[in-house]
Amino acid sequence: MRLNRSILIVLLIGIISSIAIIYFYLLQREFTKNHREFLISTNKLKHSQSRLNYLILENSVYAYLNQDEIKDKIQELLDEYKNLKKSTLLKDKTYKNIDKQVISLKEKIDSNLENIEDYLMFNAGIKNSLLFLTRHVENSEHLKVNDAKIFIHANYILKHFYDTKRIQDLIYLENDRFLLESNSKDKQVQEFIKKFNIHSTFLANHFKQYINSANYVLNNDVYDSIVSITTDFSKIALKDFKALDIFAFILFSIFILSLSFIIFLLYSYIQKNQALKHSLTYDQLTDLYNRKALEHKLAKISKPTILLINIDGFKNINDIYGNQIGDSLLIKIARLIEKDLPNINIFRLGGDEFGTIFEDITEDEVLKIANNLEKTISKHNFIFDNLKLNISVSIVTNNIFPILENADLTLKLLKQNPNKRVMKYTDDLNLKKSVQENMKTVEIIKSAIADDRVIPYFQPIVNLQTSKIEKYEALVRIRLEDGTILSPFKFLEISKKSSYYHEITKIMINKTIQTAKEFPQYRFSLNISMLDILNEQLVTMLFDCFEKNKDTVSRVDIELLESEFLEDTKKVQEFIDKLHSYGSKILIDDFGSGYSNFSYFSNLEIDIVKIDGSIVSEIVNNKTKLHILKTIYQFTEGMNKTNIAEYVESREIALILKEVGIKYAQGYYFSQPLPKPLNDSKVII
Amino acid sequence: MFKLLIFISIIINLYANEPISPIPLDSGIDIEKAKLGKILFFDTILSKDNSTACVSCHDVFQGGADSNIVSKGFNGMSGNIQSPTVLNARYNFKQFWNGRVDTLSEQVDGPIHNPVEHNLDSKLLEERLNNSKLYKELFLNIYKKFNIEYKDIVDAIVEFEKGLITPNSKFDKYLRGEIKLTKDEKNGYKLFKQYGCITCHNGINIGSNSFQKMGTFIEYESKNSYPDKEAITNKKIHHNVFKVPTLRNINLTAPYFHDGAAKTLKEAISIMAKHNLGVELSDDEIADLTLFLITLEGDKPKILESN
Repeated sequence: MRLNRSILIVLLIGIISSIAIIYFYLLQREFTKNHREFLISTNKLKHSQSRLNYLILENSVYAYLNQDEIKDKIQELLDEYKNLKKSTLLKDKTYKNIDKQVISLKEKIDSNLENIEDYLMFNAGIKNSLLFLTRHVENSEHLKVNDAKIFIHANYILKHFYDTKRIQDLIYLENDRFLLESNSKDKQVQEFIKKFNIHSTFLANHFKQYINSANYVLNNDVYDSIVSITTDFSKIALKDFKALDIFAFILFSIFILSLSFIIFLLYSYIQKNQALKHSLTYDQLTDLYNRKALEHKLAKISKPTILLINIDGFKNINDIYGNQIGDSLLIKIARLIEKDLPNINIFRLGGDEFGTIFEDITEDEVLKIANNLEKTISKHNFIFDNLKLNISVSIVTNNIFPILENADLTLKLLKQNPNKRVMKYTDDLNLKKSVQENMKTVEIIKSAIADDRVIPYFQPIVNLQTSKIEKYEALVRIRLEDGTILSPFKFLEISKKSSYYHEITKIMINKTIQTAKEFPQYRFSLNISMLDILNEQLVTMLFDCFEKNKDTVSRVDIELLESEFLEDTKKVQEFIDKLHSYGSKILIDDFGSGYSNFSYFSNLEIDIVKIDGSIVSEIVNNKTKLHILKTIYQFTEGMNKTNIAEYVESREIALILKEVGIKYAQGYYFSQPLPKPLNDSKVII
Repeated sequence: MFKLLIFISIIINLYANEPISPIPLDSGIDIEKAKLGKILFFDTILSKDNSTACVSCHDVFQGGADSNIVSKGFNGMSGNIQSPTVLNARYNFKQFWNGRVDTLSEQVDGPIHNPVEHNLDSKLLEERLNNSKLYKELFLNIYKKFNIEYKDIVDAIVEFEKGLITPNSKFDKYLRGEIKLTKDEKNGYKLFKQYGCITCHNGINIGSNSFQKMGTFIEYESKNSYPDKEAITNKKIHHNVFKVPTLRNINLTAPYFHDGAAKTLKEAISIMAKHNLGVELSDDEIADLTLFLITLEGDKPKILESN
């Protein structure tokens, strides 16, 4: 937003300064043009005027002359003056004074031209009379003989007139001896004198006029005025040019400033862009490449092999030591991987997952790298102030498409195996297929619930002493649409991860209670995992059903399925107490395998112990197993607990169990799980 | 070739030294405009009472001036001065006898507005021409305007007047070295120079490039008063001062002077010699001068030949 506004402002400044520059350019061009034209005009005027002055001088020297050039020059002068007067500069206030001078110049020109007209007019008369007198004296050869005195005098006067004309000074006319006089009776002489005197009188009378007009013309100040206009004009124009210079400087500065600002903005824009680009391809915490970058690189490589590194139990580290330690652990691991795998791009794919990609590498090489890396990391001491951490990682490799998906799936599989830390994806892991199957199973569960095809099967539990069926264990089944019965190991694990588990449990509880109602001669047992007890929703549901069927549920026992470490035995005991209040009994399932623990008995009020099939099925040939069986028997008897043996698959086993003293047995030897309990409870051992 | 070059340079030098220069053979005018101007020049529509055309007082076929002492104009009224020739008027340094205007277009204004000549104002003239289908079309073709304007009317007339030049006079041909003058003509020219006629009558128009006083030497008396330069400047020294008239086609423009006082050329020469040069010429001299002046008659203007 701020950037946008800045760009807008800069753009505005840019546009304004551009307009100003264009305006300035036009202004200065116009000004320069006008200035130049004005000076050219004054120059032409000067030239015309000086030429005119010359022509006037020439005219006074020659007896006669083609005066057309004077006429032309005058026209030229007047035209040029009009041109000068048109100059737009003169309309400017700054040049007001010049304009005044130009106006007064016209007066001077006009007055000079009038003087020239007068001068030419007077000049003609003077020239003609002088010419006449010269010829008159020239043609009077006879005087030299008849009256030389007159002749000499005439010449003298003539010389005077010429001097006056040449020197243009009236002082030569101050004596008034320019008239000839003679008493001669010679008619020719008198005729000569008469003609001479007419012209000399004319000259004497008109010379003053002539010389004055000549002086006016020759001393005219038109030329000086033009020079003065030019000088004054140039002075003012110089100031104008300076102003233009300053204006240009300011404009140029603004231009440079806005240009720099634009460059700055562009630079910061590029910076931001780069940061953005970086954040798109880099992980902010570790500064490694991110998942996006990995995907990008994968797409570019034809034979990639991926190596994924996942930190085991990273969630716990974050929970225990806090995110700060978690984050810096990630950074340390990132650096460690970088150090171990130099010259190769390392990626951070997610919270606790790192990876890298190799190109054209054999599977053995990759596995070697993976193993080395695993060792390096697990041996490394991660030190945070006074805290030392050792971590383990799971590493998978894969070069089969889809690269990332296969690797992810392999990692999940690897995580379930606590003994293995490095694994390679192979097609026979078939992980993808199972995913598809999982999806399919969820679909099956969903439709089974909807169509009421989730059903309990019942396996009889036989009293070995009486050879009678006393109990049935309810086992969950799904009947497929084609009638096939699906055993729980195909769907129960998956259902636990879905929302359908709760529903299945509920169906089992209700349907078992229902069957218990139908067969009042038997007890029934339901399987509940210890983890289920922690699920409050499920527990509430269970007791709701029990509460509704108080009479029946005293015959419904609960088999607690051992699972991982049970933390909250208090909660389990509460659960057991509540069951006991309904008359239900508590069985511990699969005792003697996995996590089963004698400590249960000290903390929990268990009624019946179900001995694990892995012991029971082998007591015939394996004395150790038999010994374990006997020990369990003695232990339970001592604790006053009832015991049940499962996986009884032969008569031999049944007989040994009977001999040992085990009270109940179940297994294929007696019957496999049945859709319904048998009416007849009698069995033959 | 070299001889030719020398010959040409000599010719050029001769020209340069002669105070009279010949009229160019080509007037360089816009023929279309001039033709339109010609129609206007001959049309009495240009006077208020449709009585007077330009040509009424400037007979372009006969010297371009009026043979009457003063011309008759609007309502038969008389002018106050002898009509000066319109031929070669483009070479005049100023127009009218007293040179009160500088250009031909300013000159055209004069007679049109003059109450005793055409007595017509610009608006009325425009209106009249705009009502004429003929003029409308002619002006549209030439000036590309639908409305006829006064300044274009003047422009057309001026263009026609610029075409009114009379080249190829015997004297011009002599100046160009094409022919020789007769002995008497040549003598006339020599006298013309010697007596100082040339001082004022020089240049392309043999006059018309300066002012001079009528009666420089001996005061010239007229019966009536005429608009002289004094009428403009109010200076006494400009009494009886007029523009020096052209001498081209002078044998065709009688009567002479601003007052038309001289009926013949010989009379005019004699008066000028007496009043402006202070000399009395012999009959022979007058005869030779007359012969010289007759050589100044040029061809009829080309623009008059076409329709």
